[in-house]
Parts: sequence; structure tokens; C-alpha cells
Amino acid sequence: MKIGMMSFAHHHAESYIQNLRAIPDVEVMGIADDDTERGKHFAEMFNTRWFESYEALLAEKPDGVVVCSENARHRPLVEMAAQAGAHVLCEKPLATTVEDAQVMVDMCEKAGVILMVAFPMRFSPVIGEINRMMRAGGLGQIFAVNGTNQGECPKHLRAWFVDKNLAGGGAITDHIVHIADLLRWMLDSEVMEVFAEANHILYADETDLETGGLVSLTFANGTIATIDCSWSKPRYYPTWGGLSLELIGEKGVVKVNAFKQVLTVYTHARQRPHYAYWGSDANQAMIGEFVAAIREDRAPAITGYNGYKVVEIVAAAYRSVEMGEVVRLNV
Amino acid sequence: MGIRHAAAWVHTPARIVGVTSPNRAKAEEAAAPYGAKVYDSFTALLENVDVVDICTPTHLHHSMVLKAAAAGKHIVCEKPLALTMWQTHEMIAACEAAGVQLLVAHVVRFFPEYAVAKGIVDRGEIGRVGVVRLSRCMFKPARDNPDSWFHDLDKSGGMMFDLMIHDYDFARWVAGDVESVFARNIAPKFPDAAGDHALVILRHTNGALSHVEGGQAYPAPMFLTSLEIAGDQGLIEHRAQSSIPLSIYLHDSGTDAHVQAAVPTSPLERDDDPYVVQIKHFYDVLTGKETNLRVTAADAAAAVQIAIAAIESTRTGRRVMLKDVVS
Repeated sequence: MKIGMMSFAHHHAESYIQNLRAIPDVEVMGIADDDTERGKHFAEMFNTRWFESYEALLAEKPDGVVVCSENARHRPLVEMAAQAGAHVLCEKPLATTVEDAQVMVDMCEKAGVILMVAFPMRFSPVIGEINRMMRAGGLGQIFAVNGTNQGECPKHLRAWFVDKNLAGGGAITDHIVHIADLLRWMLDSEVMEVFAEANHILYADETDLETGGLVSLTFANGTIATIDCSWSKPRYYPTWGGLSLELIGEKGVVKVNAFKQVLTVYTHARQRPHYAYWGSDANQAMIGEFVAAIREDRAPAITGYNGYKVVEIVAAAYRSVEMGEVVRLNV
Repeated sequence: MGIRHAAAWVHTPARIVGVTSPNRAKAEEAAAPYGAKVYDSFTALLENVDVVDICTPTHLHHSMVLKAAAAGKHIVCEKPLALTMWQTHEMIAACEAAGVQLLVAHVVRFFPEYAVAKGIVDRGEIGRVGVVRLSRCMFKPARDNPDSWFHDLDKSGGMMFDLMIHDYDFARWVAGDVESVFARNIAPKFPDAAGDHALVILRHTNGALSHVEGGQAYPAPMFLTSLEIAGDQGLIEHRAQSSIPLSIYLHDSGTDAHVQAAVPTSPLERDDDPYVVQIKHFYDVLTGKETNLRVTAADAAAAVQIAIAAIESTRTGRRVMLKDVVS
């Protein structure tokens, strides 16, 4: 199976290319990137072919492509891939507007190609364990979820993360999506109401975008939830951030810390504690699912529609911040 | 809480001279260790003291504070100060007019981990506060006693008042005045839950945000608190379960599930016990040794206002501006 890499704007592409190579019978064709320097740099780093254009890559008929462009540039690349008949794994968030997300979903459906959205947390064994317990009724009805997906401001990774035109927004765009997707999936219910507050105090000298955010979600089944999406971890924190869920259920409470499987390491070189993660790589399982869905000619575990629903929640959060009101979504 | 306050007063030069309670047996039990007299009425007790420490159910605070102020007595009052704004205003005005101190026992300000965090913020070590997270989760108090005043919303205000007021107050202490409140709780939708659980978002006047979680839906005897304060120059994190200095695992230790209302415990020197520190501070204020009150009556009133706004938000489903909470 031939897979092409479309853009290395998002640093996750650096993981995905290695995840692809770890799968037997998958051939990474190479890298195309509208930023020539970046494309050549990563093609050399990963010892793969550099394509001078997306068209050139698609002309060689990849079975699938991985789109890791800037958030606002997902749509044109996904459209090109769909027209070329290539299945797509698109980095999250699917799009920066609900309209873009809708068009992308429709277009891939019409073209008969897979559109999978990169929500690796669904493949975390920690999340998998609690998801199975919940589905088996082990917690009973879930009443409330207190979620956090905090991180450092990602500007040092890629400058475009704090460029509104390319990223779509700051912390709200970056860090609502994982938990919003997980909760839709685990609760098997849609978000009915969104309320959000945002501010610009942390990392204020690095960006004009929102860096602090607290979002409240009410699901159709009655579950209430909050997501702290703030870029509230300093750069010298022992790790990039984390994802936690506290689930309050009929039969008890579960506290989930998806990135707790770490060693605490102290070195002369770093001069501060550092977490070395030893848990399973959720990206590997996610990439495996994309490849398996192509091979088995079936819908992937995470569909474009799932990505679309999360874009809708993010858009509602921004509307709520702007109006200071609860935003209702059609369920 | 009366018993706990009494045990703390012992560590000041003050003498516990009288106790009153509608439950005579309880009053006698409380008075015995101190050789204090048991009074049949609050009015009779007032005639014989310099200071009263009111640890009654919240709905009784208003009338008792007014009586004590009229009698010219200094007052320590358990939190929440009252359940309505007009009551807090009356209580504060009465104390001011009578020239008596009104000290509201927001004891969390005296818990060492919270006080140390406040000091770090005040010294500017983490810069400007951006996002605060506070959590206080436990089981339902007095769950074996359906007649307990804790369960009566008209008397306690419910969990969003009685329990969460600690963290509304602490959020204000470290991040300043609150402008608006948005809250959701599970009680209306899930009345059969083991207890209530609420998720509250505060916006402070200076732009900071606070997430305040309160819960009584945990299995007993769980009691977990945590605090996190993110500033533009640093971060403070504290999780009670990660700061346990002693872990004791005994064979056949048994468990006592009949806990009335759990209070977090942590082995500290007696002089560092938050309840002792609080009462000693109040004593020092009353004797003029200390002038800067750690909790002013205005602070206590502001915490009541946030609690009212939070409950109003769960009722209307909308964000509530604090300036609109007047009565």
C-alpha cells in the first residue's frame, strides 16, 4: 500500500511517517509540501522522496495520503486528494470553519474515499480501558465529566499555531477537540449546549490569540462536562501538558490521566524534572486503523463526520465567548 | 464544627465560658471539657460573654449575628455568612453600627497549602494569574441522617453554597473580584445520584478565569481537594492525594462508613492546624495584636454573592453577572 505525506506544517507528521513505516507492506511514497524548504528538509531527515508539488505526488496514485498542513489549509489538500481518489487521514481539527468541514465530508463521500480525522486519544489503551468499562455499564449513567487538555503554547513547535488565519484560533481551537471527540464517542450522545470563557493572560507576549479557555458542554443525555483547554503549562513543565478526565457516574467515580505512564527524569543537561513517557503510542494504533480501513475497504473508526461535529463544537465555543451566552446546537 | 472551634479556642488565652444548643445533651458534652456553663438560650449566653462563636446551621446565622451585635459582642461566624445578600448586608451593617468585629470562618484561607499558594501569588512569583482550578470532591455528608440540615436547601443552601463557598472565596482571594459566573450541576437532572456535583466557571474582573468543581457524589470516605494556579510567569499545582506524607496499610483494619462529614486531615503541628491558626488569628484581631483581617466581612459577603450567582446560573442556564445579584 502506497501512502503519501501532504505537508509537514504540523509536527505530528514527524510521528505519523514513522508510524506508517512500522506497518508491514506500507510504503511511504514521499513528501509534498507547499513550503519547499520544509518539504526538502523532512524528506532528507526521513530519507524519503521529495515531490515538487501535491499534484506530482497525487499523480503517482497513492492509496492514501496523510494531510498535516496548517489547520486552515486542510480543505484544499483534502479536496485535491479526494479528486485524485486517494483515501485521507487529516490532522485535527478537520477544519477551521463548519462550512469547510461540511464541504470536506461531502466531497470525500462523493469521491468514495475514506476521510479519517486524527484523534489519537481514541486509541489510547488507558482511554480504551475506561471506554470498555463504561460501555459494559460499569459506571452506570455518567452524570458529569471534568476534563482537562492543557498544554504549553505550541508556538515554539510551529509559528503558525498562533497565526489566526492559519490555525483558526488559539487554545480553544487547539485543545477542545480531543476531549470533545472522546466524550461524544464514550457517552454516545451529542452536545446540545456550549458555553465558553476565554482570556489572554498566559503567554500574552507570544500571541494575540486566546491562551486560556474554560468550556462547558451539556450533552443530550443530560451529562454535564467542562474542558480546560488552556495553554497553562509553562515551557519548563516536565512535559508538554496532558489530558485528564474525571467521570462522575451512578456507580462511582473514575479519574483518568492519559499520560501518567511516565518516568520522572532529572539530568544535568536539562536542570529540571522531565517526564519520559513509557505508555503505548496511540498514534501507532491510529495510523494502523487508517491503513486497515483502506485494506478492508471499510469506514474508519473515526469518520469525517466525527471531525465535523467537533468543528461545530469549537465554532460554538467561539460564538459563546463572543456573545457571553450559551450556544445551542441542533441535535 | 462547634466542637472543632472550641478545641481551637483552647489554644488562645480566651476562656470558653458558655455553650448553648437546642440539643441540651450535645451542649453539655461540648461544655464539659472546658468546665463551661450550658445556657438555655442564646440571649442568656450573650449576657455572659465577650465573644460568640456561631456554628449553627447557616439559615440561623442572620438572626443570631443581629442579636449578638445588638448585645455589643464580637462575633465569629461559620461560613457561609448567610444565604441571601440582604441578610449579609444587614449583618455587616449591624456589626459596623455596634462597633463589633465580624469574623467569618472561611477556614480554607488558613489551610497551610492554600495559604502558601496565596503567598507565592502575592509575591508575584508566578506573575499575573490567568487560569485557576479548584476542586473539592467528597461523599454526601450526613447521608445516614435524612433529617440533617445539610440536606435542606433552605437551611444550608445545598452543596453549591455550603461546600463550594470555600473555593469561590479562595478563587477571589488569589485572582480578585468576580465579574460573572456560569454553572452547571447534576442534581436537577439526576436526583437519584449519590450526591450533587457541580462545575462552575468564574470570570474575574481582571480577566482571569477560575474553574471551581464541587462534588458530593463520590463514594465515602473519599475526600479529594486540589488547586492549580497558572500565571504568566509560573504555575502552582497541588493535589491532596499526591501530598500524603503517611500511607498506612494495616491488616484487618476495618473501616468506619458512618462518618458524619469528613474533614481533610494531614499531620501537622498543633500550631499549624488550620482551625487553630484561624481562631488564634481571630483572637489576635480581637485583642488588637493584628489589624489585617485575613477574611473580612466584605470577603464573606462576596463569597455569598458568587454562591447565589452560581445557583442562579444552574437555574436559568445562563451566565450570571455578579452586579445583578443584589438581594
